[in-house]
Amino acid sequence: MIYRLKKWLGLLASRRLITVAIVIAGLAATGVILSAIIAPARDSIRARQPALRLDAAGAGQGAALAILGGFRALVADFAWIRMYTIWERRDLPGTEMLLRLVTTIDPRPVYFWLNSARITAYDFPFWRVLAAGGFETVPEDVQRRLSHEQARSALRGLETAMRFHPGSVELWVERANIELNRLGDLNAAAESYRRAWELPGAPHYVARLRAEVLRRAGRRAEALEWLTRLHPTLPPADEGAAADVVLGRIRDLERELGVPKERSYRPPGARE
Amino acid sequence: MWLIAGNTLREAARQRFFQFLLLLAFTLTFGARWLRDFNFGAPELKFLADCGFGAMAFLGAALTIAATAQLFFSEVDNRTALTLLAKPVWRAEFVLGKLLGVAALAAVFCALLTGLLSLVLAWREAELVRLLPDAVAPGGGVSHAMVALGGLMQWLRLLVLAAFTLLVATFAQSQLFSVVTGFLVLVVCHLQHLAQDAYVRAGSAAGLVASALISSVFPDFQVFQIADSLAAADLPATGDVLRVTLYALGYSAAAAGLAVVSFRRREI
Amino acid sequence: MGAPGPDGAAGTPPAIEIRGLVKDFAVGLRGLRLRAVDHVSFAVRPGEIFGLLGPNGSGKSTTIKLLLGLLEPTAGGCAIFGVPSGKVEARRDVGYLPEAPNFYRFLSGRELVVFYGRMCGLAGAALRQRVEEVITLVGLAGSADRRVETYSKGMLQRIGLAQALVHDPRLLILDEPTAGVDPVGSAEMAELILALKARGKTVLITSHLLGQIEDLCDRVAILDRGRLVAEGNVSELAGAPGRLSFETDALPSEEIAALRAWLESRGRRLESVAPARRRLEDVFRAHVGRGARSTEEKR
Repeated sequence: MIYRLKKWLGLLASRRLITVAIVIAGLAATGVILSAIIAPARDSIRARQPALRLDAAGAGQGAALAILGGFRALVADFAWIRMYTIWERRDLPGTEMLLRLVTTIDPRPVYFWLNSARITAYDFPFWRVLAAGGFETVPEDVQRRLSHEQARSALRGLETAMRFHPGSVELWVERANIELNRLGDLNAAAESYRRAWELPGAPHYVARLRAEVLRRAGRRAEALEWLTRLHPTLPPADEGAAADVVLGRIRDLERELGVPKERSYRPPGARE
Repeated sequence: MWLIAGNTLREAARQRFFQFLLLLAFTLTFGARWLRDFNFGAPELKFLADCGFGAMAFLGAALTIAATAQLFFSEVDNRTALTLLAKPVWRAEFVLGKLLGVAALAAVFCALLTGLLSLVLAWREAELVRLLPDAVAPGGGVSHAMVALGGLMQWLRLLVLAAFTLLVATFAQSQLFSVVTGFLVLVVCHLQHLAQDAYVRAGSAAGLVASALISSVFPDFQVFQIADSLAAADLPATGDVLRVTLYALGYSAAAAGLAVVSFRRREI
Repeated sequence: MGAPGPDGAAGTPPAIEIRGLVKDFAVGLRGLRLRAVDHVSFAVRPGEIFGLLGPNGSGKSTTIKLLLGLLEPTAGGCAIFGVPSGKVEARRDVGYLPEAPNFYRFLSGRELVVFYGRMCGLAGAALRQRVEEVITLVGLAGSADRRVETYSKGMLQRIGLAQALVHDPRLLILDEPTAGVDPVGSAEMAELILALKARGKTVLITSHLLGQIEDLCDRVAILDRGRLVAEGNVSELAGAPGRLSFETDALPSEEIAALRAWLESRGRRLESVAPARRRLEDVFRAHVGRGARSTEEKR
């Protein structure tokens, strides 16, 4: 017994184990010192690297692979290419699974979210109607229900996307487009365009779209007010801002609402 | 030390394995353009960059681990280390020379691939601008500074990996063990951020000690993804880049220093 | 270990001094120990050729590795020109040719010697001059630009000797320098070693081929299972005190009988009479000589 104990003690004190202990202690000490140095940078890196959404269903082995970190972008890219192949075959469950996988593995590119929403809102109802017998066979109310189901699914996806990209104009515009084109919900679309316009870097057409949607929703006064507030802010030299077009629409709305000439909008710098 | 480093680089560059991996990485980076006909604008550029950096990350790691273990054990097994260490050479010079040689090899690998990737991106961007003028938004194109920074981050990651593999090799008895352990280190370093999170959440004392040990012994390779975008707007702050560089150099120096300690006692 | 040993002249440390050297190797994880060198002590004087002899596994190479600081001793110690072996300075004045040497195969012979010269701190014109000198000395001037991977075993030994000599060390340690080399190559190596001795170098040479060593060494030590079992001058160890042999022209049997009778009349005995023989190695060298060597080099 004592002999064995001595032997084990001797083994514990063996040169190699001592070296391993020194190595672990040395690296641990290094880690402690360096963690203080890297901490501020790590925070900003983590902010750019959203955590993997492993809780998302259907992620499976792909996510396990991608968790290796360095390759999540590449794995997502290849899954996206694979998704296109399946999309061409109009395989709805396969496409849906891969769309979820891609956005789970790498939620950073807005592109993935936008196209996922478009495929879900525009392609999926089309495929479902075809699978149910075609547009001539399937009753219109069923078609509408399918379209609305898919549109709401796409909007849920966009909501998730907005948590990762709160400053993305494109996501709000896409949301508005789906609300407008697939749900026919003009008020919701008008609100989404407003939210998009309030974000930095929003293109001018977003503001014009909001006015148009308000007009089509019968909220002409609001549309006029929106445009009269917008017009003075538009840079005249910017073609994209289309100040003349906006002024033209203001005049149209004034006519439609019967605004007297003396109360009509006067652009900045215009003569009395 | 510099002589040993130069000789190590020369030996490595002449190996078919390096030439094969370089060719494969070139093919992946260059061939990604034809993997599928996208023509969908800026995201295609992102895909090309992901392919290039993916090739650099994966093949670079394979190259670094294999080259470090092979170049170290070739000296020990072929007994060239005997002749070398019988000269007035410190063992530290031998170990650091080997590390610098592999670091130079990784630098050549990363520089060549980063240069190629930059060229492929510039060429495809010009093509896309011509074909689909609206697809690439003004200012949303490729930032070559970002690509270069991405290449630098890949190299720093490989440098740390080389230092850790060398550390393992100094007390390992076989090349195979060093290679397998090197890959294990790579995986642990990529998953290290999970240990960080576990450390924060750890309920038990044992869990706390284990996660604290893992998160301090192994570097976190997630930090090298500071430059994984192509947009100039995403360029990280200089301070962050410096911190990541210091982090990589610190871990490399520590691993190299410990490799010297371990090798000092090794019987040749 | 720094003090001069008994074999060194006053004020001049011995070229090599080994005292009570012990080396154990751990075998397996169970802590078993194998003793490779067991309390070995000897000294080598400057300027002599010293042979460390013994069968395979007797501890010769381990002793050399300990001497060069490539292994750490379990007990005892060694010094080179008074400097303890563990220090890098101890290796400044040593050239080492390992057993069956292996070199960077992608380098040419000249590049290899240049590399090792630089490792020893040589540079510029002095390096170039010294490289040419040693390459010529070892007889590889015609093959110096060929890659080492194309060299024969004998050529590898000679380029190994060149790298050992490049920094002009005072002490040369040659571990089995003729192992696997043909008799012509062995003889040329022996000539080189004698030439180096003539230049004042100290040479420690290990071998299990006793015949080759016998003609070269001033003194030898014999190791067996890690222990020093004999040490001394070659003539002291190999000679038979009180006995004599001589060689004459061929004698007819009656003259041999007369010689035997004359010796017996003086109380002596003629032990043996046999036809004189040349050593097979000499016969081989006479037939397979320089011509064959130069053909090999030109190849």
